[in-house]
Amino acid sequence: MMDRLSIVQKTVMSIFLAGMALVVVIPLLFFGTVAFSNAAEMSEFPKSLFPSSTVTVRVEPTESGSYEVFYDSGEGYESIITTKDAEKLEKHFRRQYSVTLSGEEILADFSQTLENGPMEFTYKKDMFYNFKQFFSIVPNAAEALKNSIVVSLLTILISLGIGSLAGYAMARFQFAGKEQFNVAMLIVRMFPVVGISIPMAVLLIQMGLYDTLLGLALLYSVPNIALTAWITNSIFIGINKELEEASMVFGANSFQTFMRITLPLAFPALAASSMYSFLTAWNDTISALILSNENQTLALVVYKAIGTTSSGIQYAAAGSIVLILPALVFTFIIRRYIGQMWGGVEL
Amino acid sequence: MSKSTGQAASTVGIPKKSSFSRIIPYVLLAPVFIYYAVFWLLPVVSGVKEVFTDLNGDFTLVGNFKLMAESDLFNEAVMNTAAFAVISVILQYLLALVLAVLLSRKFKGAKLLMFVAMIPMAITPTATAILWKTGLVRDGWINTLLLQFHLISEPLVFMNAEGFKAVLMVILIDTWTVTPSVMIILIAGLQGLQREMKEAAYTFGANKWQIFKDIVLPILKPSITTSIIMRLIAAIQVWAIAVMVMGYSKTPFLVERIAFYVDVVPGVDTSTKLAFTYSFLTTIVVLLATVVYLKVSHKGVQKGGEQA
Repeated sequence: MMDRLSIVQKTVMSIFLAGMALVVVIPLLFFGTVAFSNAAEMSEFPKSLFPSSTVTVRVEPTESGSYEVFYDSGEGYESIITTKDAEKLEKHFRRQYSVTLSGEEILADFSQTLENGPMEFTYKKDMFYNFKQFFSIVPNAAEALKNSIVVSLLTILISLGIGSLAGYAMARFQFAGKEQFNVAMLIVRMFPVVGISIPMAVLLIQMGLYDTLLGLALLYSVPNIALTAWITNSIFIGINKELEEASMVFGANSFQTFMRITLPLAFPALAASSMYSFLTAWNDTISALILSNENQTLALVVYKAIGTTSSGIQYAAAGSIVLILPALVFTFIIRRYIGQMWGGVEL
Repeated sequence: MSKSTGQAASTVGIPKKSSFSRIIPYVLLAPVFIYYAVFWLLPVVSGVKEVFTDLNGDFTLVGNFKLMAESDLFNEAVMNTAAFAVISVILQYLLALVLAVLLSRKFKGAKLLMFVAMIPMAITPTATAILWKTGLVRDGWINTLLLQFHLISEPLVFMNAEGFKAVLMVILIDTWTVTPSVMIILIAGLQGLQREMKEAAYTFGANKWQIFKDIVLPILKPSITTSIIMRLIAAIQVWAIAVMVMGYSKTPFLVERIAFYVDVVPGVDTSTKLAFTYSFLTTIVVLLATVVYLKVSHKGVQKGGEQA
């Protein structure tokens, strides 16, 4: 067959694709590791590809009755802390190793070294410590998660409500100015959102909507209404008009026809465009930065956490995993429709 | 085409169009008009007004542009944005094209590989930033890998990169994130390529390069022009990765400057003016790119029509 490749070509192709897979997967593995690493692991070098689930420390009793704790961060055991204070130990183990034990429990373990001499102790790490920390250290993180969900849903509602009407009108009706309308929608869609974010802030202040979730959703809907109109337009064109007419002949009115015939057929397009709206609202940081003050979204909170905590980037990583999960699910649902949409590419 | 079916339909069994049904499309479009009049046109107009008035509210034609041109890092921002847009679009395109051609071949594991190739698309910008930031620091995972495979003997300090090198780093990170979305569009375009056409070309003695040049590329052309312009528009607005990985002012870009004046020096009159003027400039650049695209794609559509 003509498409058969020579061994050399096959090898080159395999190497290229394998390289691509590694370039995608390896950074992600390390990223996952960061989100589950404790502070001590964060300063370790070389880094390990997977996070550890336990922490091992070496403890020596000192002459003054304290305990000296040693930790191995890649270059052999090093003395980290010398204390017999329960509270100090508890704090240290929590912050450095993500081990959530009470100081008394740790001291009880350590007291064995008084008889046996220096010992090694292995403790279980709290794997979700960074996630708990993210939500307790970062102000309003839980609130921000709720805000992000609300803003995304509002954006979907507005874009879908207004955009799909326009998409339907453009697909089903002939009217004067249709061409111009199409071009206008394209310009709105291409228009950088940043360009309107700052004047939008002024407008929203006048309307009393500054720093509200609705205000943000109103901005995110600007490009998404046009996008929804474009996606639904192409789908409504594809839906067989005869089906609608048949339904009318059998006595359904236009509303019933729309609800029973057109809407179910258009569902994939509606789903795809709502997910685009969702992702815009969910991932944005710059407009949220400009338009909000107290009512922050999760993406903004994570963005700020990266900027402010140079030492605790693992907490921000945990926060972004929370941010990624819904986006990941939605992206892979959309994927099926993207192919369809780009099939006959024409804007 | 839809015009003729619309007229045909009105003569078959459907009640005659009343004046009511003639206004239906306008009723359906009214919400869009109202929405865009309030939430798009108003902000755009007031933004433009800000650009052409000075701090006292008096009209000025070039005052704010002068302010912007004399502000810190303006030249760098313009040059970096241009370099970023050109290099990243070319690089991402070549990569995506190769990937798309390879992955649309039928072989074992092609589906799985395509899935893997698409993952970066779903990673949110903040996560991408953390991912690369933890990699690029001195004791990060990139140095770990390089040392483990004995490619270097001492850890490299990536974050000290300056000027063009830093921009290049942002380009590579952006490429990691963005290539899959380009690839998908190209794969969708390739699906329109029928096997029979290739086979016919072979039969007539065409070699692989001729087939690529004369059959694959023309079929892909609409998807390529569309997505190149969309990429270009997104590339002009780069900022998030630059700021989150490198920090403000390290790799200045147009939109990075806007964020800088809003985020870092807010509340100062001149910084608001500068932010407005930068937004205006960015918008003009993006619109120019769009106009060029409309011109180019219009030609493309005409050509496509001839072929069909």
